[in-house]
This record gives sequence, structure tokens and C-alpha cells, in this order.
Amino acid sequence: MPKVKINDVEIEVPAGTNMIEAAKLAGFDIPHYCYHPHLSIAGNCRMCMCEAETPRGPVLDIACNMQAREGLAIRTESDKVKAVRKSVMEFLLVNHPLDCPICDQSGECRLQDYYMDHGQYDSRGIEAKVGKHKRQDIGDLIVLDAERCVQCSRCVRFGDEVTGTGDLRLMNRGDHTEIGMFPGTRLEHDYQGNLADICPVGALTNKDFRFERRVWYLRETDSVCTGCSTSCNTKVCHQEGEVFRTLPRRNDDVNRSWMCDPGRQCNSGVGSLDRILRPTVDGVAVPDAFETLAARIKAAGAGRTGFVMGSGASLEANWALLQVVKANCPGAKVFSVAGNNAGAIAKSDGLLMDADKNPNSAGVALLAAWFGGIGGAEDLRAADLSLLVVLEDDIITRLGGNPAEAIAYFGTHNNPTAELASIVIPVAHVVEMDATYVNRQERVQRVRRATNPQGEAVPAYQALEKLGAALGRAPGTSMPTATFSAMARAVPRMNGLDYKALGASGRLLAPTVQPVAPAAPVAEAK
Amino acid sequence: MDFPRILSGNWDVPDSHLLSVAKSRGVYSQLPRALAMAPAEITQIVKDSGLRGRGGAGFPTGMKWSFVPPAEKRQGKSVYLLCNADESEPGTFKDRYCLWLDPHLLFEGMAIASRALDCHVGYIYLRGEFRYIARRMEAALAEAYAAGLLGKNILGSGHDFDLYLHVGAGAYICGEETALISSLEGEKGQPKLKPPFPAVEGAWRSPTIVNNVETLAVVPWLIQHGAAAYKAIGTEKSPGTKLFSVSGHVQRPGVYEIPMGIPMTQFINEYAGGLLPGRTLKAVIPGGSSVPVMTPAEVELCSMDYESISTHAGSYLGSGGFIVMDDTTDLVAALTNLLRFYAHESCGQCTPCREGCGWMHQILCRVRDGEASEVDLGTLRDLADNIHSKTICFFGASAAMPVQSFLTKFRGEFLDRVQRRGAGAA
Repeated sequence: MPKVKINDVEIEVPAGTNMIEAAKLAGFDIPHYCYHPHLSIAGNCRMCMCEAETPRGPVLDIACNMQAREGLAIRTESDKVKAVRKSVMEFLLVNHPLDCPICDQSGECRLQDYYMDHGQYDSRGIEAKVGKHKRQDIGDLIVLDAERCVQCSRCVRFGDEVTGTGDLRLMNRGDHTEIGMFPGTRLEHDYQGNLADICPVGALTNKDFRFERRVWYLRETDSVCTGCSTSCNTKVCHQEGEVFRTLPRRNDDVNRSWMCDPGRQCNSGVGSLDRILRPTVDGVAVPDAFETLAARIKAAGAGRTGFVMGSGASLEANWALLQVVKANCPGAKVFSVAGNNAGAIAKSDGLLMDADKNPNSAGVALLAAWFGGIGGAEDLRAADLSLLVVLEDDIITRLGGNPAEAIAYFGTHNNPTAELASIVIPVAHVVEMDATYVNRQERVQRVRRATNPQGEAVPAYQALEKLGAALGRAPGTSMPTATFSAMARAVPRMNGLDYKALGASGRLLAPTVQPVAPAAPVAEAK
Repeated sequence: MDFPRILSGNWDVPDSHLLSVAKSRGVYSQLPRALAMAPAEITQIVKDSGLRGRGGAGFPTGMKWSFVPPAEKRQGKSVYLLCNADESEPGTFKDRYCLWLDPHLLFEGMAIASRALDCHVGYIYLRGEFRYIARRMEAALAEAYAAGLLGKNILGSGHDFDLYLHVGAGAYICGEETALISSLEGEKGQPKLKPPFPAVEGAWRSPTIVNNVETLAVVPWLIQHGAAAYKAIGTEKSPGTKLFSVSGHVQRPGVYEIPMGIPMTQFINEYAGGLLPGRTLKAVIPGGSSVPVMTPAEVELCSMDYESISTHAGSYLGSGGFIVMDDTTDLVAALTNLLRFYAHESCGQCTPCREGCGWMHQILCRVRDGEASEVDLGTLRDLADNIHSKTICFFGASAAMPVQSFLTKFRGEFLDRVQRRGAGAA
């Protein structure tokens, strides 16, 4: 690996690393608009100019197109570099409308940020500004204001290189250059939201977020999208218990910097009217639903009680379910039913969207293999059950009918299963709890609590803890950390995983499939 | 002065664009010889001749050719030879005569170059406004193809060279070689980031050589007479002859082929017929609108070659677009007009040039109209400095250099304009 020098800091980086990334590793931030780690190099904003030391003396060049090679030395903070940045800011702003007070990008705008860091000049722009097209409705999710644009061409390259739709283009020339679409066309792809994300200024804004909230009021919590089994890494942006938007979070191994538009909607139902807010028994809100459920399980008897694992529920919740069964109803049957819930559009595009709309199918498969003896959809249809306890999955839609005399449902939202259930227990939405999910790559990823659970909901693993207690033996799953540790000890493929050490980008399960599970609990379950 | 007319020798012959006439004048006589030579031998002759690119930058042609990676390092990619016939630098109008009056000389030059470069496909990128030339060139191409001088197995040599004419849409920037490539590829005509350079990765990401019309048209003469004969003409660093297109306040504007190195005053007075009666020289732009302007004192010192113009006047020979301005010229208006061109032609890709050219033009309009202050002249100078060499291609510098040089060398004229406003207000 070549050694490069950035402001006299020597650092070893992989050959070919561009100097913006190399500088980042060395602890220096080089300002830039057009450069994006997951798009090709355009080199047009000229903001990342640095001084490279050459035998002929220092030469100004753009850092994004400078690749690390042995002995390359650059300066990112010299007087000349500062002067260039200042002048680039002046050029960028001379035709900018400066409509920050009504611009949604305010607070996360690179023009604002870099003006404060690198501009700070007295304006000399007294000429008439060039007018361009404003408020253009170019897609279901995107509004384009060409006057705010800095022509960085990130959105153009996104369409060319990521979605392959080639829809946005730089039109016209000189200072009349503006981003636009061909006449009569609209953005047609499922990744429009990313355009607003990668736009460094307020030219492309997301209709779902326009005029909703100033970004500086929002807090960001790292999470994972639960819209499908890809589990794109996300940032949930929320204020005072309300979620305003979900943005992709960079994870080069999962979703790079992107996420799909349906995924952005996953958290929009947090406060929706069809949330299940309090436990009900036979349609009536009751304070002792867990005791009632425990009594009914006992009345049905272990032989005629079934439990369904949830591919939409967290790893901890599924673990808690299995522990409740193991400790309290060892004779009960456990099932797992593949499929999607009511209303899901099972679209797969080879990019990020997966037809499996469950965020934890791999986690359920992992625990099912460990537990052993888990039945599928056919087994469930054939089983003669008096009571079926369902964890989050919409089992009625998946089976196309009711397999049991009565259903107890642990869930977040009303759906066909909740409507049929005689006992309904509210559980926390993904943004309301700490937990883990396993995506299609078998990557264990954390979600973090951003807001408080609505109504009387608690995380599903805590609800199952309460059920276990009512049945006589609590599974000890009230804390996600302890629950995870217990799983990591017990499940061979999770051996060595540590909840805290999952970090921001998650960890893969041990790749080799170990011989299934210790014999004892399986024997007990049967 | 006795010198061979390498480029314009056939221009006075009637119907010189027809193959039969061209052949009778010796065009294509060097093609069989060149096809029998080893490619490296041709490149060596061009290298030894010291021929410098005639498009404006004056880069040694032989050296440019040698940047093409050898066949074993090309991963099976073709080499493309592009002829830059997008002549659109204000003040430059030499290539159009080469194309109009002697197209076959260019074809022969390109065929020989293709042999040297192991290239089998070439394009002539013609300026959009030259449609009338396109018709004549298409006919000339058809004649050359029919005679077996282009196409497959040229003259039985086994060398294939297909030559196509591509007409641009009339954008100045497409004369910049990477923008030309973008345009040829069907993209918006915008310069590409360098590196990689076209010789390594150009058209369709393949090794590509882009040469000016005049450069390629010299090649047959080099094959015929050898490098030494070429070096014997002109100066040491500027060998050979060069076409100059003279416009402005002279008695005989037009295109002249002269050996490099003759004194500039001699060129103005003897070739261009001198200034109009009773006028005195005010300024000269020696190499197309992009190069720094020269004062009469600098004109006295300079000769018509690359090194003298850069040494004595800090300017460039450029494309040989020689613009003469006499004492009746309003230099403020002249510069404003130039900047109107650059503001219009900036491709709009990178920030300083996109925003700066229009801004400079607006300031200049105010200066011209007497509505500016001295502070604006300072701003103008700053903007030019901030554009120069901060951009992807040379366009930024091309727009900045006239501003910098006019403001420095003719500052008084600009100060008069801004001060007049003060006087008027008082």
C-alpha cells in the first residue's frame, strides 16, 4: 500500500484511493460537492482543490481525481487552497437565489456549511442573477428547483450509474446550465428519495419532507429498514416522539449509500391510526391480558396450543417466544410461515428491493434450525389447534385462512390476523426499541430506540417476558443486551457475537452451518 | 522569401478539391511510400521534424503519437485518429480553406498517420457551421474510397483505414479535444476530466489521437522531403511553415502561409498589406481570441513563432488567428464582445468558468456603458485570476487571459471609462 502525505501527516492507504478519502483517513476534511463515494468522479465543482507537491513546486489540482501513489504529498489548508475555496464559493453563490429561509435544505446545506467554513467574504455580486425553472414536479417524490442547483451532476450520475434510467440531464450551457428532464418524462424508478439525499443543496427536495420540519430540530438515530430482507441501514430522523423521515445510512456491504422509496415509508406508520395501542381480550381493553392469555394457553393444553415465530419480529422477540415455549409449554408446537403480510408488494429488482418483505427471515431460520422441530405452513394447516399465539406476522394472509379455533396476536398494527384475534397484545414498532435483525446476507444488525413506544406497547421480547411470567416461568428477556448474550452463548452460529460490538454496520453470522442444536431442549420440546 | 508552400500549394489551382486535380498536383503520391514504411519510422520522421500541433497548444505531434500504448498493452482496443476540424476560435479561419480547397491532402495525411498509429478508423469532426464544406468533403471522400485510397486494403498494402466525416452542432467547446470526443460519442459536448489523457483512454475509452487539420495536412510533405528539410524552414523551436488568418484593420486580410520566425511587423506590412492609411497600430491578438493581447511595442519585438511571442509578449502563437486593431478600436467594447462569446460558449460544466464568464461579461457591459467603478475593475481582475487554471479544460484560461491582458496592458482605457462616470455624476 502506498504511503501518502497529507499536511505532513503520513498515512498508508490502498493504491488508487482518491485523496478526499485518504485525507479523511488522515483526519482532514476536504470540502466537496460533486464527489460521492458511490458515484463516478466528475470533478466539476472544483471545491476539493488541493496543492500537490511536485518537482516543479506546488500545483493546484482536484483531490477527487488524485489517486494515492507512493510519495504523493498534498496540502489541504494552504493559503492558496483557502483562496480557491473562497472563490469557488463566490462563483457558486453568485447566481444562487439565497432563499434559505424557505429552503428545506437549510441546516444540512453544503452551500451554507462551506460558506461558514471556507467562504466568509463580502458579497460582490451586484449583477442580475440568472433565472431558472423553479418548483418542477419531476417525480412522485421529488421537486426540482433549478436555481438552487450547483450543477454538481450527482443526480445525473445516479440515474446513469445506479438506477440505469438516465433520466436527469444537464441542459443548456454556461451560467444558464440547469438540471432537467426530457420533455414529457418523469422519474419512474423506486430510488427517487436518494436524489434528494445526494443533492448537496436544496435543488432536489423530497415531497414527503418539504416544509415538514427544520432539520436542526431533528435527532438522528441509527436503525435498519424493516421493509424487506435487505435491511438497508438507516437513520431515523425524529423530534419529540414523531418520526419525520428515514434516510439511508452508509454501509458499503449492505446498501452503500442508498435505499428504496418504499423503504422510506416503513417508519411512516409509527403513529398511524391503525396502531395497536392497548391489550384487548375479545375486543375489550383489559388490564390483565397476559394473565388471560396464560389462562387460555393452560386451558387449551400444550398439545393443542401453537406458537408462530415472526419473520417481521426481532431476533430477541423470536428467542423470547422459543424460551417461553421451552420453559412453560414444552409440548406445544412451534411454526414459522414464509410469505408476506397483507398489502406488501413483493417486488425484487436485483438492486436493493427483495421480494421477501420480512426483515428477519434469516433470523427466524437461524433460531428455528437451532430449536428444531419447527413446522411450516402445511404443518400449521394440518394441526388441530385450539389456540395459536402469533408473533407479529400476518398469519391469516400468509395461510389464506384461519388454522386455529382462536388466535392471540402480538403486533404493532391492525391487519387481518389482528382482526380475527381474540387476544391482541400491542408491541413496540422497530423505531421504539433496541433489538437485532438478521438480513438476507445473514448479517446481524442493530436497531436503536428513537422514540417511546406508543400507548401501552412494549418491545415484543418484553411482552413475551410478561407472558412467561404469567405462565409461571419468565424467560429472562426483558433486556435486549442480556437476551442477545444468551442467544450468542446458546446458538452456535452466533457464538462470539457481542451486542455492543455489532457496531454501526453489523456482523455476519458464522458462515459454516454447525450441527443443529444441543439435543436436550429439542427433546424437551417434543 | 523562398519557401515551399506546404499547405496552400494547391489552393490557387482550379478545382483542387477534385481527386484528378489533386493527384495531378502530387497529392496521394506519398501514400504508397508511407504504407511501405514501418509505423515507427513514420512516427520518427514526425518526431524529428519538430512539427508542433497547429490547433493552438503547439504540442509536439510526434510525441503525442508516441503516447499511444503499444498493441500488447491495449487489451484489444482499437486506436482512433480524430481530425479536429471544429475550427471556431474567433479570429481563426485557416482550416476551412484547407478543407475547402485541398481535402485530399488532409485525407492523405490522415491515412499516413493511421499507418503510424496502427489505427483503422478515423473521424473528421467538422464544425457545425461548415455544412457547405461537408457536402464537398463527402464527395471527396467518395472519390478517395472509389480510388482505393481509403477503406479496406489501401492500394493493396493490407492496411485498412476507414475515414468518416462527423458534423458537430456548432459549439466552440467541441474544439477542445476531450469535448470533441464527448460530442463524437453522442454525449453533450463537454470536456472530460484528465487524466486519463485521450492517447491512453479517449473515444469509446480507447486510445485516441486528436490532431488539427493543418497538422495532419503537413504529414505527406514530411514523408516526401524528410524531417531535415522541414526543420530547415522556420526557427529551431518553431520549424516549418504555418497558416495565419489575418483579420481586423489591415489592407489585405486573409490566410497566409509563411515560414515561422519572420518579424511580426514585416508580416503585417508585407503580407497583410499594412494598416489602413492614416491609422496607427493599437493592439494585436496574435493567436486567436483566447491569447493575451499585445501592445505595439511588443509587436515590434516579436517574430512569428512560438518562442518569441511568449518571451517578448507573454502571449501565444495559438491557432494563428491574427487580429489587428488600430487606433479607432474601442478596446473596452472589443473585450466586452469577446466575453459575450465566452459567456455564451462556456459548456457550463465546472464552477469557475460556468459562473465566472457570465459574471465577467456583465461587469464588462457596465464598464463599457460607463456604469462601473474602479472597484469593478478589481473584481474583474480577481474573477479572471480565479478562473484561470482552476477549471477542467483550457476554456477557463482562454476566457481569463484576454481579460487579464487587456486590463494590464491597456489599463488606462478602462480607467477612463470608469472615471468618466464619476465626472458625469459630478
